[in-house]
Amino acid sequence: MAAAGAGGGLFAYVARRLLLAVPVLLGVSVLVFGVLHLAPGDPAAIMLGAQATREDVERLRRDLGLDQPLPVQYFRWMSHVVRGDLGRSIPLGREVLPEVLLRFKATLILTAGALLVAVIVGVPAGILSATRQYTWLDKAAMGIAVTGQSLPVFWTGIMLIIAFALSLRWFPSAGMTSPYGGGGAADVLWHLVLPAVTLGTASAAALARLTRSSVLEIVRQDYVRSARAKGLAERGVILRHVLKNAVNPIITVLGLQVGYLLGGAILTETVFSWPGLGSMMVRAIQARDYPLVQGGVLLIATTFVVVNLVVDLLYAVFDPRIRYE
Amino acid sequence: MLSRRVWMIALVLIAAAASGTAVAAPPKDAIVVGLLAEPVTMDPPQITDLNSARVTKRIFEGLVGQELGSYKIVPGLAQKWDISKDGLTYTFHLRPGVKFHDGTPLTAEAVKFCFDRQMDDKGPFYATGTYPYVKGFLGNVAAVEVVNPSTVQIRLKSPLTPFLQYLAHQSLFISSPEALKKWGKDIVKHPVGTGPFKLEAWEPGVRVVLARNDSYWGGAPKVRQAIYVPIIEAQARLSAIKTGEIDLTMDVPPDSLDELRKDPNIVVAEANSSAAWYIALNTRHPVLKDKRVRQALNFAVNKDAIIRDILKNTAIVSKSPLSPVYGPYHEDKVPTYPYDPAKAKALLKDAGYANGFDVTFFVPESGSGMQSPVEMATVIQANLAQVGVRAKIQTMEWGAYLKKYLDGPDMAEMSWNPSIGDPDHMMYMLLSSERFPPAFNAGFYQNPRVDELLKKGRTTIDDKERIPLYKEAQKLVVDDAPWIFVDHGKQVIVHRKRVQGFKLHPNFDLVLTPVTLQ
Repeated sequence: MAAAGAGGGLFAYVARRLLLAVPVLLGVSVLVFGVLHLAPGDPAAIMLGAQATREDVERLRRDLGLDQPLPVQYFRWMSHVVRGDLGRSIPLGREVLPEVLLRFKATLILTAGALLVAVIVGVPAGILSATRQYTWLDKAAMGIAVTGQSLPVFWTGIMLIIAFALSLRWFPSAGMTSPYGGGGAADVLWHLVLPAVTLGTASAAALARLTRSSVLEIVRQDYVRSARAKGLAERGVILRHVLKNAVNPIITVLGLQVGYLLGGAILTETVFSWPGLGSMMVRAIQARDYPLVQGGVLLIATTFVVVNLVVDLLYAVFDPRIRYE
Repeated sequence: MLSRRVWMIALVLIAAAASGTAVAAPPKDAIVVGLLAEPVTMDPPQITDLNSARVTKRIFEGLVGQELGSYKIVPGLAQKWDISKDGLTYTFHLRPGVKFHDGTPLTAEAVKFCFDRQMDDKGPFYATGTYPYVKGFLGNVAAVEVVNPSTVQIRLKSPLTPFLQYLAHQSLFISSPEALKKWGKDIVKHPVGTGPFKLEAWEPGVRVVLARNDSYWGGAPKVRQAIYVPIIEAQARLSAIKTGEIDLTMDVPPDSLDELRKDPNIVVAEANSSAAWYIALNTRHPVLKDKRVRQALNFAVNKDAIIRDILKNTAIVSKSPLSPVYGPYHEDKVPTYPYDPAKAKALLKDAGYANGFDVTFFVPESGSGMQSPVEMATVIQANLAQVGVRAKIQTMEWGAYLKKYLDGPDMAEMSWNPSIGDPDHMMYMLLSSERFPPAFNAGFYQNPRVDELLKKGRTTIDDKERIPLYKEAQKLVVDDAPWIFVDHGKQVIVHRKRVQGFKLHPNFDLVLTPVTLQ
């Protein structure tokens, strides 16, 4: 690893970054707690619905500790969080941490699938466009990219269901595994195709446009002209000299895309009933399930912090000039 | 070239996956049900949503049950029961030889344990859950006593006729005390009951698998497994039922029903339900307090058009709060409000509002049983505009809406799907003056005679005396028009032809015991 030259510097850098994450996460926790509790709607009343008596709603509020002042509720929650206890979901009655971790795994599978779609479609399309600038191929690819970036995922998702699940019957319409179970990795992969394409489309488009512009910028550099002048084959020029130097902005955007995908996964998961964090959070927000929403948001925020750190570390892998101290 | 290699690997993987799983024929003895969402909890007293109830009611039973397809009370875990003359003491004789899924026997102690768990907030097992309906259903219970191992006695504080129907509600179903002692709060995912099915697996967000209880006292079901998968998106449910990925589902897009009815592999099962969809009118509002105005609004709304064009005939016109599924309690000879804008205008003129008036109309964006709240509100708004009433629609997300509704709004949509098969749960809960906001008589409706009838109805045990009380109350309520009566939604269940013997139940339950698969 390039940054390893810095030795303890890298370790200190990572430690400092993780330490800095603490106030960020604390801020996130206050924000999400505040926004959730200030939103109108009472979890006890929603949970009980129309048919409960007033006494039952009040009794449930008391049992849940919702009759306490907000700061008291926050500190009570936080004092458990620092001990690794995210509490129990209000309507589910289950512990939050195992629940969000389990759902997070499904979201990661979906995000990884979407990222794969984005990279294997977006990067080659961008290179192709750049190397054939202003040809019909370039124009077509960029036209598709702009369209792909503008399509809302719930629409793309439903169209894919109608085309590939209902009409062609190539892929299932919902879920992560077959209802009869026991499908294993192949079964998950088969269920993953439509949601991953749905979620990955916009990212692929964004990536294609970015790859195109960053390749175009580098292609004009002197060293590329030198490489060509010394007689390197065009493929070698693009792969070894251009792409290697264009990769850092691509990684930055990929890092941002991970965040976008984690957020965008909410809609995709709902359309395809993917058992991830997003579809769970939608339901939790509707039910004002404070502990579950707070736990889920904390987990997503933590992921953001980690992904940002990984992206920063990756720069050094691709660009030996970067050192961490 | 790297990207080419990645492409190749991806294609090979996808091809392998597709060939490995290309739609296997469904097992002959497992039924797959596509639910709108996965169950929330499987601890009966904690259940507040339909998805949980639809699954969990296969695992547990109450002292009494309902005859499939009606609200008639039939024996359940109690083989028979006696009610004392004063209506205060209920004595239940338990069915002999019944065992929980964990092998422990059903006893009078177990029944007492389940009720005490919820009622006694100082008891050792109270903290194992939160009990949304305890005050509502057990608030009138003075004590539960074990007479002998197979006889349990429940004493009430005051006579309450709907109590027997409460016992058929899942919150008073009986679960294994040993399981509760073992699992504590985690009982929510480890249900142990006496029912025809038992839990085999629950993969959160993915599926719930129930297995047949071979030693069920009523005879083992014919279906070996019942598998429930959550399919949130209506279009995906439609696709899954058409391709045979699932065997039974509900709430497909109404537009698709005609096409499904023509599909030779699919059956569309429909039945009336007890649900009522109405608009509560605030009887304390300066204009709406006039009965003539409220009647005018009822005449102004074109219910038939709403049912035909928006609900695609998945509902019937509501004439009174009680739909026809209440059988003898339903009153058909009530004053009616056919679509008649001229009459509506005349009534408004009579009341002094020839030029109409302004009113705020609260509408939820979606919500439990709300059908198509925004579309329906838009039509109703247009209907009202024709007679000069300027309704300003204000939409809200369900959680916020529910709070607004209980604040006593001027005019607001509501859908009520009673979980209890007793007319009391409709009439008293929604229209008694003892139920003003924050309870659910959101329009502050009050009629002393109606109050008297509903109060008497709660304590009268004999059906012959009881039925006339509710019939009279319905006539009075409909004439007073505290609501705009709109519709009673039908239950629409779509299933594959291979599912045989499925029958709908008025409270939206999905009973699988009589089902066979081809």
